[in-house]
Amino acid sequence: MRRRVVLVDDHDLFRAGVRSELGEAVEIVGEAGSVAEAVPLIRQLDPDVVLLDVHLPDGGGHAVIAQVAPERPGVRFLALSVSDAAEDVIAVIRAGARGYVTKSISGSDLIDAVRRTADGDAVFSPRLAGFVLDAFRSGAPAVDPELDVLTTREREVLQLIARGYRYKEIATRLHLSVKTVETHVSAVLRKLQLSNRHELTRWAAERRLI
Amino acid sequence: MTSDSYRLPLALPRVRRAEDEGAVAGVCAGIGKSLGVDPTLPRLTFALLAFAGGAGIVAYVGAWLAIAPEHGPPPPRRRLLGFVLLAVAAAIALRGFGFSDSLIWPGALCAAGILLARRRRGARFVAGVSLVALGVVLFVDRSATDAGRDAAFESSAVAIALLLVLGPWAWRLAAERDTERTGRIRQQERAEMAARVHDSVLQTLALVQRESGDARRVATLARRQERELRAWLYPAPHAVGAGLASAIEDAAAEVEELHGVPVELVRTGDVPLDQRVEAIVLAAREAMANAARHSGADEISTFVDVGEGEIAIFVRDRGGGFDPEAMPTGAHGIAESIRGRMTRAGGTATVTSSAEGTEVELRLRRNP
Repeated sequence: MRRRVVLVDDHDLFRAGVRSELGEAVEIVGEAGSVAEAVPLIRQLDPDVVLLDVHLPDGGGHAVIAQVAPERPGVRFLALSVSDAAEDVIAVIRAGARGYVTKSISGSDLIDAVRRTADGDAVFSPRLAGFVLDAFRSGAPAVDPELDVLTTREREVLQLIARGYRYKEIATRLHLSVKTVETHVSAVLRKLQLSNRHELTRWAAERRLI
Repeated sequence: MTSDSYRLPLALPRVRRAEDEGAVAGVCAGIGKSLGVDPTLPRLTFALLAFAGGAGIVAYVGAWLAIAPEHGPPPPRRRLLGFVLLAVAAAIALRGFGFSDSLIWPGALCAAGILLARRRRGARFVAGVSLVALGVVLFVDRSATDAGRDAAFESSAVAIALLLVLGPWAWRLAAERDTERTGRIRQQERAEMAARVHDSVLQTLALVQRESGDARRVATLARRQERELRAWLYPAPHAVGAGLASAIEDAAAEVEELHGVPVELVRTGDVPLDQRVEAIVLAAREAMANAARHSGADEISTFVDVGEGEIAIFVRDRGGGFDPEAMPTGAHGIAESIRGRMTRAGGTATVTSSAEGTEVELRLRRNP
C-alpha cells in the first residue's frame, strides 16, 4: 500500500529533491510552502503522513501541527530539517510530530521513516536522540516520576540511537525484540510530549520555547 | 572610601540592595557599591534628609521597595509603590528646601507625564501628554493668580498653544532619532552578515564551481560550509568556551576534510578542556580518522555523552570491520594513539569489530 504524503517545505528545490528521492515508494498528494497554505491543504487531503519542515516563513512547523492535529488525529507528522537548533526541533516534537530526521538523510532511509511514521512508530535520528537526552538530563528531582524521568532502558535505547545504531541492531544488542525497542522509543516520545518536568520546562523556557 | 575610585554615574548605575552587608535593608550599602563609594556616605545623606520633613525616611522605605535585592527580581507592584514613595520623598524634600507648592506639583505632574509618554505609544502616551499639559496649566495658573482671572485664562491659553506647536515637533524629533538609530543598527548587522557570507559561503561556492568535476571534494566543501554556518547560527547551548564540545567538533571537521568522509556528530553536555579531556578528544580523533581511512564506510557516527561522572565517546562505522586481536604490533594507531593515550589519562578504550562495522568506545571518569 502506498502511503499518501503531503510535503510542506518553503524551498521548491528541496521539495523537488524529496519528490524524486521518494519516487514511486509513496504517493505525494500535495505540497505547500507555508503554514497558511499547509493547514487547509492537509485538512482537505487528510494524508497518512505530512513531511514537515521545522522552519516555515510564516511560523514554525509546530504551528501547522497545532492547527491541524485536533481535527485530523489520523494525520501523522514527521519533521524534516537542516536546522541544528535543539529548541526548534523539540518544539515540533512537543507539538506532536512522530519524529525528526535531518535533510541529509538518504532516500531509502527517508522512505523507511515515512513508513514507520505512518504505522504510528516514533522516528528518532541520532541528532534527535542527543537533543532528548539533553532535555531529560538526570539530576534534578522529578515532579512526576512517571513522566519526567527516562527509565534506564529508555536511556540505553536513546544512547544507542545517538551512537548510530538502527532499531534492529539495538534489539540484538539489548536482547530485545524490535517491537520492544519501538515501544521504548514511543514511550520517550510520549514523555517528551506530556512531561511538565521542571527541568524540561526550564530548559524550554531558556530557549524561549514556551 | 573604598579602594575603588569614585565612578561618575554617567548612565544610571544598576543599583542592587546588598542585603547581607546592610545595616537595615542594604539600600545604602547597595547604592554605595554601585557608585563605588563607602556606604557611610549614602547613609549620611538619608539621615540628613530625614530632617527635611522626614523625606529621608520616606525615601529609604521607597528605595527599599523599588530596588531589587541582589538575588531575584522584585514584584512589579511593590516596585511601583516604591517609586511613588520616592516621588513623595522628593516633593517633601523640595518643599523643605523652600520650593513652593506651586512649583512642586506642576513639576511632579510634568515629570510623571514625561515618564508615561516616553514610549510614544497608545493610551499611555495620551495620558502622559495630558499630564504634562495639566502641569503646565497648573503652573501658569498659580503663578498668575495675582494678576486676576483673565490673565490666568490668557496664560493658560498661551501655554496650551505652545504645547500644540512644540508637541508635534518634539514628537517628530524623537521619532526621527529612533528611526535613525534602528536604521544604523540594521545597517551594521547587514554589513556584518555580508562580511560573513562573503568569507564563507561565497568562497565555498566559488570553489564548488571550480571543482565541480570532483563529486567527493564538492560534498566535503558543502559539508564544511554547512558545519561552519551552523556553528554561527546555532551556537552550542552548553558551550563552556574552550570545551570538549568545540574541540570534538573541530576534530570531526578535520577528519571530514582530510579523508572526505562525513562524520555525523551528536553530543550532549560539555566540560572544560584539561589534559585528560584533551587526551580523550585526541583518541576520538584518531578513531574517527581510522574509520575514515580503513573502514570503507561512507559515514561515521560519533556520539559524545558527558554524564554526571563520566565522559563517553563512541565512534562507529558500518564498514568492513577487522580483527582487533590480529592487528600487527606495528599498528601504531590503535595501540598507542587510542589505547595508550586513554590508559595514561586513566580511562579505557574498547574496540568491537564485526562484519557489520566497528565501534570504538572511549570512557573517562570526570575529575572530582
